[in-house]
Amino acid sequence: MSAHLQLSDIRVSFNGFLAVNGLNLSISKGELRCLIGPNGAGKTTALDLICGKTRADSGSVRYAGRELSHMEEHLIARAGVGRKFQVPSVFRQLSVRDNLEVAMCRHTGVFATLLRPARGRGGEGLETLAEFVGLADALEEPAANLSHGQTQWLEIALLLAQDSELILLDEPTAGMTQQETVKTADICNRLKGKHTIVVVEHDMGFVREIGDVISVMHQGQLLAEGTVREVSQHEKVREVYLGSMGIGGA
Amino acid sequence: MTRPISALRGAGEARLQFALYAAVCLAIFLVPLAVGDDFLLNRYARYLVLGMVAMALSLSWGYAGILNLGQALSFGLGSYCMAMALKLGTVPVHTGSDGLPDFMVWNNVETLPWFWVPFHSTAFAILAGIAVPVLVACVLGWFIFRGRVTGVFVAIITLATLVVANLLIIDRQPYTGGFNGITDLAQLSLFGFTFDAYSKSTYYLVAACLTVSLFACLALTRSKAGLILQAIRDDERRVRFFGYDVAAYKMLALAVSAAVAGLAGMLYTVVMEFASPTFLDVSLSLSIVIWCAVGGRQSLLGAMLGAILIAGMQGALSESEAFLDTWMLVMGAIFVTVVLVLPNGLAGLVSAGAHRLAAMLASRDPRRGETVHLGKPAEDRP
Repeated sequence: MSAHLQLSDIRVSFNGFLAVNGLNLSISKGELRCLIGPNGAGKTTALDLICGKTRADSGSVRYAGRELSHMEEHLIARAGVGRKFQVPSVFRQLSVRDNLEVAMCRHTGVFATLLRPARGRGGEGLETLAEFVGLADALEEPAANLSHGQTQWLEIALLLAQDSELILLDEPTAGMTQQETVKTADICNRLKGKHTIVVVEHDMGFVREIGDVISVMHQGQLLAEGTVREVSQHEKVREVYLGSMGIGGA
Repeated sequence: MTRPISALRGAGEARLQFALYAAVCLAIFLVPLAVGDDFLLNRYARYLVLGMVAMALSLSWGYAGILNLGQALSFGLGSYCMAMALKLGTVPVHTGSDGLPDFMVWNNVETLPWFWVPFHSTAFAILAGIAVPVLVACVLGWFIFRGRVTGVFVAIITLATLVVANLLIIDRQPYTGGFNGITDLAQLSLFGFTFDAYSKSTYYLVAACLTVSLFACLALTRSKAGLILQAIRDDERRVRFFGYDVAAYKMLALAVSAAVAGLAGMLYTVVMEFASPTFLDVSLSLSIVIWCAVGGRQSLLGAMLGAILIAGMQGALSESEAFLDTWMLVMGAIFVTVVLVLPNGLAGLVSAGAHRLAAMLASRDPRRGETVHLGKPAEDRP
């Protein structure tokens, strides 16, 4: 079977620094792939390349038979790619409800949205979603008033509302409590199969909870790939990343 | 912190907002019943026109975050389109061939330039008064927004464009009347009805256009597109990753704003009975920004009332004996105070008051007064 998402021989440099150096990654449909690696390994850059935030100097990004590397961000999003950022980015001046309305983006054209009321008929689904992430009471609050944890949840809700086929998560559990991390893992497990998911994460406990196949990146390249077990026994991985703690730690 | 009036979003609040807008428009229509003086009515009509431009700016600046310092460009273009039509409607005092406008005769122009010819038709002029500003806005917007120019650079580009247009009009005296503008105009006549600048009819014409454009803009802000514009103001990069074409939305905001400003410009010519390069002046353009800021840029009604209030006050102060020398100082003090104390303008003050009132009413109901526990998922809550 050919890969659903295929990054081939990607190279990117920032001011002469090679952030990604010949990265190859292939992910099949419905898979949940974890991307781990030490700081500066190019994990976030890899996500940026897929969603179009960063342009590759060379190489190709193919998704569902389409070449993404030269498409504009909004067209990539329309092709079915959703992204959660490391620093939670939501619309701070808008209420939680309006944030979700913006994320429900089945119609993206100017004239299509011009003829639609700001509050669509998705109202009920929207409230269920808000309830699901624990923001039902804060629907009318401006997002600026939310705590860091709540902002994380709001962005996850935005992704669920967007309902993209391919979901890119950049450190979704940063700043979350133990319980919240468990819940995030639960959401990821539930989305698996229906959606293709790529998760960048440092929390190894979380990775163990959700990861089928783990890709380890190091210095802009793929270092190892395999199950949690295989990766944690990999000589080189232990050396550069996991250290003496082993994958059970962190 | 005062919350922007755009945060008022519940269904009940939407109805309240609608009622408020309707009440203000009704009040505007009732003014001629109380004011018999045609001279005063003309002046009030002028203020209403200025309110319309400020309202248009609030759409692009307050909602979409595009600080357009060249708002007077759309206004001036609309104004000149109307003036050209009204000029051709006069019986020229110094007639050249084909009823050439007098200033062309003085400038030794022998035939009517091609771009003046269609303005024999008032319908064409009215169409052009809206279409030309919209076209200019779209072209400008295409370059700015496709090139992803943001922030202060947008302000610089729009301001520079305004200055260029202003200089062009002053410089091309044979075709534009130059520094003197286009004066000595006929009265606008539509469907066999003539609008005398000093009469109730012109006032009602302005009030009707104001009402229609205010509600059209309100509808835009209440649509999903309006919501996306506000999201763009907050974080345009994030909006892109939801699949929205940010440049197209920003062009929409700029174009609608230009259309309303162009319409206002046409009405300004009808009310003032001339068009002049001062309508495309940098100082007028900056005044529009100030009116908008004082009234509250995130509220269409606020920006409109801000302009009417400040322009009215300016008129009254500059003519009163007591403030003859100091009125600029008084105006300056007001601006500084508003900018320092009320970041969301007078509308922000009103909306903060409304929220406080709502909170007071809610606190009587113990269930709704409960504080939201931050950072915890729903099922953890007692």
